Amino acid sequence: MLLTIKQLQVKYGKQTALQIDSPISFEKGERIGVIGSNGAGKTTFVKAILGLTAYEGRIVTDLQPEQMAAHMQSNAYVTTMPVKRIMEMILDTKIKENKELQELIAFFEFEGCLSKRYNALSGGQKQKFTIIMIMMQKAELTFYDEVTSGLDFETRQKLMEKMVEWYRDKEDSLIIVSHYYEELEQLADKILLLDQGKVVAFGRTGELFKTYCGDAIFVLDNNQINSNLTKGFRALKSPNHLIALSCRDKEEEKRLLAILMDNNVNFKRSNSDIEIMSINARERFYAGAQCRKD
Amino acid sequence: MKQKKCNMNMVLYELRNINGNFMTHFFGIVFPNMMTMIFSRTIGSQVPEAARDKVIVSIMLSMSLVIPMSIMFIGYGALYSQEVEREVPLRMRLFGFHERSLLTAKIIAHMIFMTVAFVIYAVFQVLTMDMPKPAVSSVIYLLVSLYLIGIILLVIAHSLANIFRKFGITFGITMAVYFTLMILTGMMGISTEQLPQALQRVAATLPMTYISNDFADFWTGGPYNFMPFIQSFIFFGAIAGILLIYAQYRDRRVIK
Repeated sequence: MLLTIKQLQVKYGKQTALQIDSPISFEKGERIGVIGSNGAGKTTFVKAILGLTAYEGRIVTDLQPEQMAAHMQSNAYVTTMPVKRIMEMILDTKIKENKELQELIAFFEFEGCLSKRYNALSGGQKQKFTIIMIMMQKAELTFYDEVTSGLDFETRQKLMEKMVEWYRDKEDSLIIVSHYYEELEQLADKILLLDQGKVVAFGRTGELFKTYCGDAIFVLDNNQINSNLTKGFRALKSPNHLIALSCRDKEEEKRLLAILMDNNVNFKRSNSDIEIMSINARERFYAGAQCRKD
Repeated sequence: MKQKKCNMNMVLYELRNINGNFMTHFFGIVFPNMMTMIFSRTIGSQVPEAARDKVIVSIMLSMSLVIPMSIMFIGYGALYSQEVEREVPLRMRLFGFHERSLLTAKIIAHMIFMTVAFVIYAVFQVLTMDMPKPAVSSVIYLLVSLYLIGIILLVIAHSLANIFRKFGITFGITMAVYFTLMILTGMMGISTEQLPQALQRVAATLPMTYISNDFADFWTGGPYNFMPFIQSFIFFGAIAGILLIYAQYRDRRVIK
């Protein structure tokens, strides 16, 4: 066991920013995706584990703070020297003498940036700079807190491709906080869904999907024709412009597929859509809470 | 990933960081030399010939205090509080650097820079001022005292920056303390004896007062009672220690 969280509570003044009642455990080598809307408590969760914020409760781990590496939402460095010097100091090495670091720099196509100062780097280059050093830390547990926030679509895609490629055959334990569901689909094998400081769902992505969405889902445009065509199928909660239909088995899936194809309807099939899963998990969580209240 | 200890790379990094700070260069190197020249020309010409040597030495000693006060207090406070405001030290800690290692590297780098400033100051004094040759012991006492004052001031500036976390507040406080210290310790032309009794008592707790007022008396040798001077160091050091412990306690990382 890498880490277990028991009865964790973080308060900012009188407001409870995070409350985890049931124990949550992370195993070595697991990749946990943490999702939730703004104010859900994602960064507070990261800060509590890193020992950067005061909390009540217990975080049981053998890890010392310096055994955890973290890419925070905002990462600042001095601007009085080129980033090459900062990198060499932080990693206590010389780039020209460290083959592994040279490879990582080349992997992220960062060679041209080494002589620049941090304030002269673009948003994507700044993220790459921290990521390279985080990866070189080879920490027992690594956090990525909204690593792609503020980046344009193309830069975000490229950066995620690089990260997915880098971690593909490795056994690093990761906690990845993101607003972007597709990033977590690529990187995480477990999901922790937070909302208003509470744990809405936690578990393996596939299992959570099965619990809240079924075997597979079909997502299509929300219009009258599609709505009429798919009557009789179980509709899940989804963004207003979409219809999400749940299929509990292959037979049901085949029936729906036939209707959609016969009527030339564009659709997307998925058995790992974290966005729809999250929406429905949240829905069920609050419905359950309401029932308990009543 | 292991906890990182202070090493040569960190000291070099801090030296590069200081080198990029204009304030440290101006207030630590240009300002004391310029002030010594102005004061010695204006005040030195107004005193009788017999007292001239002592006055010049006194001015040189007072202005030598500007070096640690500017580099280790004003300059460092300005540089480090900007880093704290932008959360650079937090970033360093997340890379496994312990606060103690970071502070040690900063102190060593600033002491190296201060040594360069002392050398420039000494060369400038020798070339431009006609003053009596000091006793070796007096120079050693002076240098040791200046380095100790520098370290204590850096620790105070470091703690203030960590407590207030904003460049504006920290810079305002360090500047106010800097000028208060200059007035109290006789570096602004008003001797400590001219101050009200209460302020004289405060001045007696500051080691700079003794350097500024007394060191000229034994510059060329002779006896001196160091006890009040040592006591002032203990008091001044205790203030720095308390501030540092408080700042570190507030910033501690605890996983329980």
